[in-house]
Amino acid sequence: MQTSMILDWPWQVLVNKYTLSKRQVVNELSTFYSFLLGFLIALIIGSVILIIQDKSPGDTFSLMFKLSIGSVNSLSSSLNKATPLILAGLGIAIINTVKLWNIGAEGQIFMGAIAVNLIYINFQFSNSTSFIFILLVSSFLGGAFCILIPAVTKVLFGVNEIITTLLTNYIVIGLTIYLVNGPWKDPDSLNFPAAAYVGKEVYLPNIFGKLSYGFLICILFTAFAHYLKNNSVFGYEMRIAGGSEMTAIYAGINAKQKAFFAMLIGGGFAGIAGGVELLSQTHRVSTGISQGFGYTAIIVAAITGMRPIGIFLVGSLFGALSIGGSVIQTIGVSTYIADIIQASTLFGALIIQFFFNYQLKRVDDG
Amino acid sequence: MNNKFLETKNITKTFGKLKALDDVNFNLYRGKIHGLLGENGAGKSSLMNVLSGIYKPEKGAIYLDGQRQNISSPDIASQLGIGMVHQEFRLVESFSIKDNLTLSKANIFKDDFLKSFKKYSEIFALNANENEIISDLSVGEKQKIEIMKLIFNDSNIMLLDEPTAVLTPQETSQLKNSLVTLAEEDMKTIVLITHKLKEIKEFTEIVSVMKNGKMVAKDLPTNDVTDNQLIELMMGEVKKSTINKDNEIGQTKLKVENINFFDSVSNIKKLEEINFQIKAGEILGLAGVSGNGQVELANIISGIERIFEGKIIINNNDVSKKGVRSRKKLNLSYIPENRLGVGLAPGVSVIDNSIVRDYFFTKLGPHISKSRTSNYLQSLIKQFSIKAPNPKAEISTLSGGNMQKLLMGRELVGNPDVIIASQPTRGLDVNAVDAIHNLLIDQRNKGSAIFLISEDLDELFKLSHRLLVIFEGKIVKSFNTVDANINDIGLAMAGVSE
Repeated sequence: MQTSMILDWPWQVLVNKYTLSKRQVVNELSTFYSFLLGFLIALIIGSVILIIQDKSPGDTFSLMFKLSIGSVNSLSSSLNKATPLILAGLGIAIINTVKLWNIGAEGQIFMGAIAVNLIYINFQFSNSTSFIFILLVSSFLGGAFCILIPAVTKVLFGVNEIITTLLTNYIVIGLTIYLVNGPWKDPDSLNFPAAAYVGKEVYLPNIFGKLSYGFLICILFTAFAHYLKNNSVFGYEMRIAGGSEMTAIYAGINAKQKAFFAMLIGGGFAGIAGGVELLSQTHRVSTGISQGFGYTAIIVAAITGMRPIGIFLVGSLFGALSIGGSVIQTIGVSTYIADIIQASTLFGALIIQFFFNYQLKRVDDG
Repeated sequence: MNNKFLETKNITKTFGKLKALDDVNFNLYRGKIHGLLGENGAGKSSLMNVLSGIYKPEKGAIYLDGQRQNISSPDIASQLGIGMVHQEFRLVESFSIKDNLTLSKANIFKDDFLKSFKKYSEIFALNANENEIISDLSVGEKQKIEIMKLIFNDSNIMLLDEPTAVLTPQETSQLKNSLVTLAEEDMKTIVLITHKLKEIKEFTEIVSVMKNGKMVAKDLPTNDVTDNQLIELMMGEVKKSTINKDNEIGQTKLKVENINFFDSVSNIKKLEEINFQIKAGEILGLAGVSGNGQVELANIISGIERIFEGKIIINNNDVSKKGVRSRKKLNLSYIPENRLGVGLAPGVSVIDNSIVRDYFFTKLGPHISKSRTSNYLQSLIKQFSIKAPNPKAEISTLSGGNMQKLLMGRELVGNPDVIIASQPTRGLDVNAVDAIHNLLIDQRNKGSAIFLISEDLDELFKLSHRLLVIFEGKIVKSFNTVDANINDIGLAMAGVSE
């Protein structure tokens, strides 16, 4: 406690007078409130930027609102867009139960899609429903495979998973570029590097309108992740292992094994995001399978404090934001305004959350 | 002995309610090796931290060569030539020896450095090139670098906090020779903090003793004091309080046979030929200064440490090759010394921590029942009067006493056959200590075999039927608490064998 004084020497005066202490009781809805406040801050920041550009924030936001959730069709598009975001976010949240970070969701999404195409071009099933099921399972396995090396090196050698999962992104995206320019290149796609389209028989059908069955999968996985994290024995053991490896060993829990399986399951979640995206939206492997979903998913998971139901809600909102952002180009506003709002929401929410968790106290005894 | 090099007058330092240093006067003489003796928590390290500018005392003054000095930061201490080697090393692991030694000296010539490095390498018998990286060195070598760092900083007063704790016997005698050379040739003033009497005798010329934050004796010439006198000063008065120890003793519950344990990381033999047994209804105390193998022994009995020689037998089952869970199933409970970090997982809620031992009883298939878990916690809270208003709050929001009650309650509620309780009352206030003692006595009356590891002799005398003393991994003595002599125990704990 006293030694920190030395490190903070230039701020010694401040540090000596005030101290941050953890609040005894934290409001259970604090994450929700901080998200709301963070979102409000983000809207204000967005407005300021719009005003600087001589655009009306009111017009822009109402247009975004109308075109993202104003009709059944646009709402469906938003939810379809949210699906991979939510699935990848859930994977990040599961891995974070053991206090590890998955920065590799982007690569796992690509790997999920690659796995789907690999199985699709090598096997044929007469029953299309079971074929779709098998393809989805293989996308899950693809995502899990993608995080295998980070998981093994973490558990055996303690290699920092943030770096290894990040690096796998570049490997997998490189692999994708190789595949769509080489062995899988579709001759009919002219000069656009992409694999051939999968057959219509394995398209994920729509529930109604444009809303894909992928969204249903997303709901089921949200429920599963919520159960796994909060109600299962495995989730409990993950929490203890994440809290303290020594306590886990003391309790007879194999902490490394929990971390390993948490990483594989989390990678699988991101993989299935890629599978769903391919089967319901893009229908082929290309470098456009993911538009940064794996990275935005980190924001979604962090804002919600790694809560699956929160990830579902915030992920849906972020899906709507990107749909809204993509249409406001028509009135001459850059689509990046949506990205700015997403990023500022994260910053705002995390800062507000900090003040829910800590309080600044004056030191009495000097 | 007339020229006081450094003198402290009436130093007082408090932490909250605790008086870590109470009116402490302390003297250092140029070119001498001083011993500072005391039990854990006696205030030795606090005093050294005051001298090295880390703690600021509320009261008192420090004089260096007769001049009053205000040592308000470690920087100033180092300018005044006061340097300290802490128990945990403060070296940059990824830097070379040279870079570590010259960290605070940007303007040293290479030749000068090499000359000094060669000289002190000889004094310390250090066999290393100056370009070797710290993380490649052994613990003993790292410590030599730590002490050399003080010399390169031109420290004339060198405070060494338990320097021998990490050393092998050979390294210890080597260290002694180096320190003597430094004191004689370079006129360095050296303070050795320790609770090993043998080292005081071997290393030092002058010894001072602390007890409960007070300096109980200072400037004693080491050659003129006896071990018994020092032990009496260090231990003070031990209360031989009595509880009824005529409870029913039953069958042998725990047998520990020929335990040997070699720590492969530090290359030190941590436990040697440990043998004992505990019967139902019996409390066996293990006295010893911490760091003499207690943690390792507790970990071996509880199944956390699996690589050792010897046998652990619980209820006539040989569990030497088995893990934590199978020992729990034989109804063994372990209350670890490290409350938060081992016994309880920080950052995890109260309710999750409450079922660490018994979570498989609260599960239904792969599912943890919320209602069973919450009933379990509520019954613990009631039975052990724990103050934990919000089950979902993080465990670290509880007070130390309540954390320990939760931990003890969780481990005792199943009426265990064997209990290992390691430092169960360390750092708790008087009321909490009483509550914890009563829990252990209750459990003893219910027929548990209890292995009580403690540094607190009051506690050991109060609770245990028999006492073992551990020193450097060996059981050096065994006593019956009814007719044991406290000084004998103190001498055994300090490593003096007649």
